[in-house]
Formats: sequence, structure tokens, C-alpha cells
Amino acid sequence: MSVAHRPSDEALAAFATGQLDEGLALVVATHLEVDAESRRRLRDLQSVQGALLDASAPVAMQVRASDLLAGDVLTHGIGEPLPAAAAPEAGLPRVLRPYALGPWRPIGIRIAMRRVEVPGAEARVFLLRAGPGVALPHHKHSGLEWTTILSGAYEHEYGRYAAGDFDEADAEHVHTPRVDAVEGCICIAAVTGHVLFQGWLGRLLQPLVRL
Amino acid sequence: MQRGPFVPLFDHNALIVAIARSADREAFARLFDHFAPRVKGLLMKAGTSAELAEEVAQETLLAVWRKAAMFDPAKASAGTWIATIARNLRIDIARRETRSRLSQVYEILDEDGPEQPDAAVSGAERDVRIRAAMTELSPDQYRVVELAFLEGLSHQDVARRLAIPLGTVKSRLRLAMSHLRGKLEDLR
Repeated sequence: MSVAHRPSDEALAAFATGQLDEGLALVVATHLEVDAESRRRLRDLQSVQGALLDASAPVAMQVRASDLLAGDVLTHGIGEPLPAAAAPEAGLPRVLRPYALGPWRPIGIRIAMRRVEVPGAEARVFLLRAGPGVALPHHKHSGLEWTTILSGAYEHEYGRYAAGDFDEADAEHVHTPRVDAVEGCICIAAVTGHVLFQGWLGRLLQPLVRL
Repeated sequence: MQRGPFVPLFDHNALIVAIARSADREAFARLFDHFAPRVKGLLMKAGTSAELAEEVAQETLLAVWRKAAMFDPAKASAGTWIATIARNLRIDIARRETRSRLSQVYEILDEDGPEQPDAAVSGAERDVRIRAAMTELSPDQYRVVELAFLEGLSHQDVARRLAIPLGTVKSRLRLAMSHLRGKLEDLR
């Protein structure tokens, strides 16, 4: 897999700090799962975080180490455990395992989508599958639309996006994606905002998924 | 901003290994005394309440005790490992009500990303070099790195917080990152 498009430093830093919206974070994670170079950049950021932690100013704790190891505190966990993740589906990114997926639904000629349920996320997340040569309508964004290509490819004004690539579009982008004529394309996308017709995916899916 | 000295990395690494080997409570106390007040301090600086920051700091150190056997000193130093634990716990606690699965996503990514054969060696070496390189950042650069990469502020929010132009934030971060990455070049 030869990756040509990666998350910006800003996007990766937001991911590294855990501040990114969970839906957007999931699309970044899908890219990280397959791209060693982005994982190296992430580790660099984590290393910076570790250094900053070591050098930071301490604030006195209420408890001492001995308090913490005494009594039943060791069996105390954080909240209730989450329900067990569904069995992983073959061919899907591993980072999707904790999430429930809807069924594939046709949303047009040779286009189908399935929801990725991310409770509490601002972004809506979905997998999209389009047949070879499918052209998507020319459109603008009003929110963010982050995409990781899982297989196949598409092409638009900003370049060709193939398996593993990360496409970080925002309100500045206007594009007309065309799916690879031979391979088709499967991707995962997260779209933010509550405005109608906010992106090529949003525009296409809006009537069906009530974006 | 208070900026303390970097503590020798391998001392802390050895403490975690001692916990893993023999449930060493003395080693735990030393780790706790160094890291818990710093996790708490950083969270409070990022706007977390003292109460919640205390809770995350406690849970972070308890996780260090429980997961000590999973610590791999070749992969990352104690500080880096503990910072990622604190990050995941903060997500779990902050998003408790929405049942976030995000910390599981970080764990899946961490499990076994296909590494280069030499990555285990370069992981620890990377931490050493990044710390050295960070002592060479200007105070201005250090501050934007701290806000962007630790507190997770957007560039826009960093500009607002420091009352400096957005372009200045971006150029300081770019310079800082290129300085840090320059120090890692031959590890690639």
C-alpha cells in the first residue's frame, strides 16, 4: 500500500491528545491502522507528551501511594465495563471492532452505505461502497468531511486517493469525486455539521440518513 | 510556566519493571510521587476540575500498577507510557456518559501495529532524543507545543489563548516539529 495523503499535524495532534471528536478520530484511526509512517508521527507526538508530562509542574495529591494500594481500591475500576464488542467482521478495519455497524443499504445506482454507530460523536460515520466509474455530484462543504480509503480509489480536484489514503476536506474545498474505473471504491467517512447539503457524501446520503 | 528538569528516563523504567516482577510497593510509591502530581497538574492546567484531575491521576497510577507487566521499556519510556494511559483514562472519564469507545480504539492501534524490525530499539531512543531536543526549544515554541500537543488545542485556540496571530502559532509549531523530527532522522 503506497500512501500519498496523510492527516495534517493538527489533525494528528488532536487525535494524539484524545480531543478529537470520536467520529473524526475513528477515521484517523482507520488510516493509522494501515500506515506505518503516520503511526511513527503519532508516536513522536506521544513521546513529546511524555516529555511534557515529566517536565510539568506537580500539584499535590489528596491521597498517598500507600492509601491507593491499601484496601479494596485495587479492585475499583472506571465505571461499568462496556458491552463486549461484536465479533470482528473479516475485511473490516480492526479499530471498528468496538462499534456496531448497520447493514449495507443501497442509496443510489451502484452506491451503498452502512452506518457506523458512534454514540456521542458529533460527526456521523459511515462506510461507503461505490462501483467502478461512479461520479459523485459537484459540491461544497460547510463542515468537515474526513475520509480514509479502505480499498479501490477515487480522484478529485485535489488528487487521487487510493487504499490507505486520508482525505481531509473542510469548508474550503469544492470537489467532484470520480470513483476508479476499474476497482471501484470502499471508504469510511466522518461528516460534521448539521447543515443540509454539506458535502458530497452528506448531499448524497442526506435523505436517507437524516444528516 | 514552570519547566522542571527532565528526570533520567531509565530510573522510572526500572521502577515499572520492579512492579511487574515483584509487586514492589516502594517502586510504586516513587512512581506515584513523581507522576501522579504531574498528571493532576497538567489536567488542571487544561481546565479539568481539581477533583476530576485527582481521580484521573489516581486511576492512572493504579493502571500502572495493574498493567506493569505489559510495559515494554524498549518501546517507550515510563513517561510516554504513563501519558498515554492518562490520556485514555481522561477520555473514559470525560465521556463516561456517552459510553465512548475511543480508548479501546487507541488500545487496538497500540496492540500490534506492524512495526519495522528496528522499531523496538528506536522507541526508547526516540524518547531520549525528543527530550533532549525539547530542552533546545525556545520558551515561545515550548509553550505552543505544550498547548497544541498536550492540551490538544486547535491552532486557532492556541492563538486565542496566547493572544498572538494564527500565522505565528503555525510557524512556531512548524519550526518546533521540524527541530524535533530533525533529531530523529537517522532513526527512520
